[in-house]
Amino acid sequence: MIVAEQKPLEEIRLMIAPYQRVLVLGCGTCMTVCDAGGEREVSFLHSALRLMQTKSGNVAHIFSEYILKRQCDPEFIDLLVEKVSDVDVVLSLGCGIGVQAIAERFPDMPVLPGVNTSFMGMAKEWGVWDERCAACGDCRLEDTAGICPITRCTKGILNGPCAGTKNGKCEASKDMECAWILIYKRLERLHQLEKMRRYYPPRNFRAVPRPRRLVKKVSIGAGESDG
Amino acid sequence: MYSSAAEGANDYQVDKTTKFSFDHSLVPPCQAACPLHMEIREYVDLVAQGRIMEALQVIRDGNPFPSICAYVCTHPCEHACRRSQVDKSIAVRALKRFAVEFGGDRRIRAEADTIHNDKVAIVGSGPAGMACAYYLRRLGYPVTIFEAHSEVGGMLRVGIPQYRLPREVLDTEVQRLTQMGVEIRTNTRVVSLDLLSDIGYKAIFITIGAHQSLRMGMEGEDSPGVIDGATFLREVNLGLKPSLGKKVAVVGGGNVAVDAARTALRLGSYKVSILYRRSRAEMPADPAEIEQALEEGVEIHFLVAPVKLKRRNGKVSITCTKMELGEPDANGRRKPVPIKGSEFNRQVDVLITAIGQAPQSPSDFRLRIGRGSTIQVDPVTLTTNRAGIFAGGDAVTGPATVTEALASGRLAAYRIDDYLQHRYPRIARETREGLAGDLLPATVEMIRKIGRLEPPILPPEARIEDFKPVELVYDWSTAINEARRCLRCGIGAEIMTQDKCATCLNCIRVCPYQVPHLDINGAVQIPVEQCLACGICAAECPAKAIVFRKPYDRRQIVEELHHILKSAAELKSKPFIVGFCCQYGLFGTGALANLWREAKAGIWIVPVLCVARVEAEHMLYPFEMGAEGVFIAGCGGQCARENTALWTKQRIEKTKKTLAQVGLEPERIRSFMLGAANEDIGKELDDFVGQMSGLYLTSTIRQEVQS
Repeated sequence: MIVAEQKPLEEIRLMIAPYQRVLVLGCGTCMTVCDAGGEREVSFLHSALRLMQTKSGNVAHIFSEYILKRQCDPEFIDLLVEKVSDVDVVLSLGCGIGVQAIAERFPDMPVLPGVNTSFMGMAKEWGVWDERCAACGDCRLEDTAGICPITRCTKGILNGPCAGTKNGKCEASKDMECAWILIYKRLERLHQLEKMRRYYPPRNFRAVPRPRRLVKKVSIGAGESDG
Repeated sequence: MYSSAAEGANDYQVDKTTKFSFDHSLVPPCQAACPLHMEIREYVDLVAQGRIMEALQVIRDGNPFPSICAYVCTHPCEHACRRSQVDKSIAVRALKRFAVEFGGDRRIRAEADTIHNDKVAIVGSGPAGMACAYYLRRLGYPVTIFEAHSEVGGMLRVGIPQYRLPREVLDTEVQRLTQMGVEIRTNTRVVSLDLLSDIGYKAIFITIGAHQSLRMGMEGEDSPGVIDGATFLREVNLGLKPSLGKKVAVVGGGNVAVDAARTALRLGSYKVSILYRRSRAEMPADPAEIEQALEEGVEIHFLVAPVKLKRRNGKVSITCTKMELGEPDANGRRKPVPIKGSEFNRQVDVLITAIGQAPQSPSDFRLRIGRGSTIQVDPVTLTTNRAGIFAGGDAVTGPATVTEALASGRLAAYRIDDYLQHRYPRIARETREGLAGDLLPATVEMIRKIGRLEPPILPPEARIEDFKPVELVYDWSTAINEARRCLRCGIGAEIMTQDKCATCLNCIRVCPYQVPHLDINGAVQIPVEQCLACGICAAECPAKAIVFRKPYDRRQIVEELHHILKSAAELKSKPFIVGFCCQYGLFGTGALANLWREAKAGIWIVPVLCVARVEAEHMLYPFEMGAEGVFIAGCGGQCARENTALWTKQRIEKTKKTLAQVGLEPERIRSFMLGAANEDIGKELDDFVGQMSGLYLTSTIRQEVQS
């Protein structure tokens, strides 16, 4: 799941300053789950923004709020058509994808990001999220016992551990587990320690040019579709 | 959420809320067990909030004579109470007594207008007759009660001793009936129903009770010195003072036997024993009554049955045999079997037999009689074999409880109404589902154990002096603390629609009782029979998909807050401070009570049903309306639910962070968690108010809001 956190109010205030009618737009999927832009957070931010402008004494904005089930699908975004015609700017509490999807659908509408999209991760417990995947497009988890060195090692090295490991912790932070020690221990449990002996050549970043596109459908030529 | 712009903009939200605004609550086990089907959960909750008058209103809606039930109800609700799976059931009857006495039931006047011409006669003035008269009067019928005895009340008057039901209480209810226009004819024994029809009564309700004591069928039963329990109690209750001598024995194990024994003690007999042929576990009398009788000095001999009586030298000589328990009979009770050769003799001055009672309806009534001399009726319509004649109460069921009699009287009133209006019986059916199922062991483990608080009772020495009521009434704080123990079965959280739920699992993670869980399809389920309605998950749901099953609970905070902020903003007074105060145990904790009492002008209190339900957004909103400070006052460690203070603190921190970002001082929000120490809450609040007034900027906010 995509994890994000809301931007500081001050930053949001500066962003929306030039606009009068602001639509605070939530997202009902990842941003709801990570407590950054669900219905409750939209409502809370809405209230905080109104409070901020009354406090500053400059009543310049008219806010409205709306929640889309998912901001990254064009069919959902179509539900916005009428709303958007009434506002000057959309403050999207979707992840970076949501912001761009909205911007793409409404070419004349400025779209502002209300959250900082942080990473792809998992919930550790209530209110704590950890990064787990970098979406590198070249998954090596089979060799590393299901523990990703790209995201979990500070250096992201493919042949670890490095000399910075101490008592199983990373030198960068005492609270951080060394990913390669975790990998070693897990391989040991799985009786696959021989995988530690292998050398993994550096990944070829050129092989995954950006932006990536995933095509699942088979392209069918004209006239072929009906058999 | 609050502003009109937001309401218009957020169709998604508004749409879903209105669609789901009806009542999804389940019938709690207490209500299902009550013959009168009273809304017990609701009034216990109101008592817990200190809203006694409203509690009394709820009680009066479901019960024609709450003050009588408050003394003598056998409280089947308490046996059904699910709190007994945790520690002990809620003391519902004692709480009702508290609500009745403190809510001012005595001063409530009942009035009724006559809107129909068809007269109804009620034969018998017991609880069933009185209830029937009450409801028929409310429906607008002229009603006459015929009572054979000199005083009204049936078994309430002649059966139940005064120490269990003070006569003033009964008199008040009878007076209220008279006030309503019920005609009561005492000393009038009805001998013929045809005569009643002839003099213009269109419907007759027979509630003659079960006053005839059963005979033991043994030698010497008719000798002097032997009296049956019903007759004995009737004589005492109608003012006679039979001389009993020093030693009295009572045969039987029901409430009448215990009542007779305790009455004998109060009449001066100092050695009173009960002979019961089974053991204590089988004894049908109310366990609390048995306990009180033992305290007063009544001896109970179990597994003993008399076989022969003989009058000798002015005393009664009883030959008893010892018993043992054999196989269970058809009712599931173990049958006592005499032990051969275990006979022994006892000598007493008076023997009271109380082995059961049956109705005795005059044969001139020409009613079909069933098993145990009871009148046969249709159980749904209470009609007898004769047109226009209905029957109910003990006369139909055999000896039963006051509450059952009241229920039967009420049912009769509605069916008589149907009969007189020539319509098909309109049977009221419960549309809501009943709550079934026990609490899970994991849930039980997490529930805070709070012992049952009993109302005070007189010491045994003081009790046996005369007939004054044994049980006293709760004091204010005990009653509220007792009511707070209620688990609020069947009004917990529910997911509005699975479609709205983002399956973020927050509810599963925050619930202190581990109630929400994932079903096999990966959807979150909140089992209603486990949920204790603490409200933490509802406030922590990022999709606002969790609501309470009772619409009132859902809207309460928002509506109160809105209302208060509106009036406060109009008043323009200073200071302007908003406090969210827990309603539960409001007066019980003492400290909270002071908080209310000392709340000064400018402090606006939003009553909440537990601070765990106050969301961060609720805390922020008052500032937007110009409030200078917000405080949250909860019961802290005294809360009957787990973790409520913890979650409140989480939300306060979140709001503080936002306040700081907006440029307001985080100190403007404060929590008072009471219960840990005897802090001087009034002074703390004063300090807080002083601090707020000293802070800059508030007036600017106010002006902006007004403009």
